[in-house]
Amino acid sequence: MLTINLFNGLVYGALLIIMCSGLALIYGLRRVVNFAHGSLYMLGAYIGYSIAGYSNFWVALVAAPAIMAILGVLLDRYGFRLLQDRDPLSVVLVTFGLLLVIEDFVLTVWGKSNYSMSVPAALNMTIDLAGTSVPAYRIAVIAMGALVAISLSLWLRNSKIGLFVRAASTDPTTTAMQGVNTDALSAGVVGLGTALAGLAGVVAAPFLSLSPSMSSDVIIDSFVVVVIGGLGSLAGAFIAAMVLGMIQALGAVYLPDAAALLPFALMVAILIWKPAGFAGSRT
Amino acid sequence: MSTSENKLVLDAQDVAIHYGGVKAVDGVSLALRKGQIHGLIGPNGAGKSTVIDAITGRRRLTRGKVSLGDVDVTELGPTQRRQLGLSRSFQRTSIFEHMLVRQQVELASYKMGVTDSGADADAILQELDLMNLSHAVAADLGYGEQRRLDLALALVGRPSVLLLDEPMAGLSVQESHDLAKHLQALTSRWDVSVLLVEHDMDVVFGISNVVTVFELGRVIANGEPAAVRADPRVRTAYLGSAA
Amino acid sequence: MSIQRTSITTVVALAVGVAVALGVGSNNVLSLLTQAVIYAVFAIGVGLLLRQNGMVSFGHALYFGFSGYLVGILLQLKVMPAEAAIVVTLLAVTLMAFVMGLVIVRVPGVAFGMLTLAIGQMFFLTASRSRGLTGGADGMSIEWPDTLFGVAQSQLLKPSAMFLICWVTLIVVLLLLTLLLGTRFGSITEAVRDNEERARFIGIQTLLPRAAIYALSATVTGVAGLLSALNTGFVSPENLHWSLSGVALMMVVVGGNKVLWGPALGAVVYFFAKDILGSYANHWMAIFGIALISVIVFSPSGIAGALAKLVRGQGAPGALARILRH
Repeated sequence: MLTINLFNGLVYGALLIIMCSGLALIYGLRRVVNFAHGSLYMLGAYIGYSIAGYSNFWVALVAAPAIMAILGVLLDRYGFRLLQDRDPLSVVLVTFGLLLVIEDFVLTVWGKSNYSMSVPAALNMTIDLAGTSVPAYRIAVIAMGALVAISLSLWLRNSKIGLFVRAASTDPTTTAMQGVNTDALSAGVVGLGTALAGLAGVVAAPFLSLSPSMSSDVIIDSFVVVVIGGLGSLAGAFIAAMVLGMIQALGAVYLPDAAALLPFALMVAILIWKPAGFAGSRT
Repeated sequence: MSTSENKLVLDAQDVAIHYGGVKAVDGVSLALRKGQIHGLIGPNGAGKSTVIDAITGRRRLTRGKVSLGDVDVTELGPTQRRQLGLSRSFQRTSIFEHMLVRQQVELASYKMGVTDSGADADAILQELDLMNLSHAVAADLGYGEQRRLDLALALVGRPSVLLLDEPMAGLSVQESHDLAKHLQALTSRWDVSVLLVEHDMDVVFGISNVVTVFELGRVIANGEPAAVRADPRVRTAYLGSAA
Repeated sequence: MSIQRTSITTVVALAVGVAVALGVGSNNVLSLLTQAVIYAVFAIGVGLLLRQNGMVSFGHALYFGFSGYLVGILLQLKVMPAEAAIVVTLLAVTLMAFVMGLVIVRVPGVAFGMLTLAIGQMFFLTASRSRGLTGGADGMSIEWPDTLFGVAQSQLLKPSAMFLICWVTLIVVLLLLTLLLGTRFGSITEAVRDNEERARFIGIQTLLPRAAIYALSATVTGVAGLLSALNTGFVSPENLHWSLSGVALMMVVVGGNKVLWGPALGAVVYFFAKDILGSYANHWMAIFGIALISVIVFSPSGIAGALAKLVRGQGAPGALARILRH
């Protein structure tokens, strides 16, 4: 019993990693708390569902995040960039407005009913893990989470663009003065962030059903992760995501009330004592 | 001009400020006398702002003593020193943007404990040519006017000493000239003594009774403007630095 | 605003309320207007925090719901008359907010917003799960007594009466806030909001005014919560949810926060969008979202601000222009 709960914790944690890395990246570069991130996750899931209907899961896995990336670039270019000199509240509320628009769009196009997306054939089996059988798909989810975490970390640490991203999130003005096209960079990073949200949606679809309340289910958890991990810090987000995943999964079974409150209590404590989060500065 | 006869209103003795291995200020002594304008010049990074911060209590001294008149204020915080009459303006204009001009000056006066804060505010606004802007929102003022408002906030409650950190920064030639005149009027009419950190040499040498020159945290010259200007060490310090 | 102008505006506003209460025949419309007015009070509370402290709260629904729950529990326990329960609830909300405020107003920027979000959600979860105390996810009905302040419940629950009660409350709240913010206290909070360092430098203790404004904004929101409890006779965890706080914030921004009554305008727009747009009402979310985005991009001081500019631009005579500018 414990194994399966721990396992589910890993699964949810992996999902949060994929989703929250996007949120952290957007915050790190644009200083925007993207309230629409949960809706983007949902939109990615629904788009993926439709694409999979015409072709298959694997195409959706690539196409949906790609579409979300384009949306992200547009969001940055025509939203965040134009509002960058305004006070932070304005931008946050614009993302809130975006949340409403996306929710309405999803309801209009796909309606209120829940959908389920079938697990791709290649992964439609169970595997024996330490005495319990677990769906292979969920193992793949964990693998995807790990893949995202590792690739992002390597990319940020070792690539030239990664260097620019880290520089721009610390000091955008100086970075721009050094000749880096910070606007293009921001558009790219935000695009990556929204793509990750969409990816999380597609990945989640086969094992969590699609419903219009998907976004609100995850958005708060995502904020908790990003805050506890340190606003803008990827490494922090990864760790916090796993921790939260574990708490949710274990807590749901053993201590439901405490488990629900604990992440928030942690978030409150951290925000009061160390508003920059326990990981401190970016990436 | 026997400047040493005037009463000593501000005395900084052997002030040193060290932090993290940096000796920002290293053994500086400054004497400000009543009714004088005392200019403080030096290249960027010489420690001038740090000394102002130390004198006003914004920074702790590593060593030294600061006296306001007869009172030793070394251990007192900025608010306490302000209450005793040691006021400053800020290098970057620091006003209350969304409040009305007279409203903020009156509030500052009230918080200083002035009984008739309205009259105090009006007198200051009159003195600084801001009366016609009394009911304007601070954010709507021009840059020069905002600098004057910053100064007005520093003048509530008639401080005895006023420390100005680059008050002419960003002002046009005319505005600098006008401000200089205001400062001179303040010292003669209001008995305020002024310590002035400035880069504008014309202003400093034009209105100061005494000039002190800083370099690398130390005083390298001190005296009447003409003498300081001619001092070879001062010329080297300015020619030698990149600033 | 002078005492004279304030008095005239107040009397006119009250008269308008009476006219609406008596003049509007449709109970549905009255009911809708009542809800709008309740949300207007809620939004004014949220807007007050933003206006005087420069702080954004994503958790003010906490006070909206909490006041409903507290008065409901007090009435259930039958420990005091309803009138006293109302007073006790407001005092409790104010005190709780002040104590919390002392701790949380020190947290800067977006972290404060996230903090209020987290605290609000904790209360939401607690209320959702405490079946015994709060009725859990199903909510709790509030047992108002047969007479309240001497008036029979049957009379109170009439749509026109309920609207008038809420409207009068709204006007009184605006009046009291206007008077309070015109005092020295108002100036002090503005100074702290504009430039905390300089405020401290001129001798202002910055923590207490900020906490006081936070508490005051909570009280106003609590008043809205009580009105809601009276209007619906019911409270549920949804009254505590962060999305409700978000809606209130939207009303503040769309209505405009430069004037005290701007958020009230935002509430009206919200309800108009939500209910009155007929067949398009299904898309009210998108409409409101777009309205929000448009306002932020094109008219940051909200609809009230745009109105003021319009009036000023046309050189309208003093009184109206000055009211809109206040």
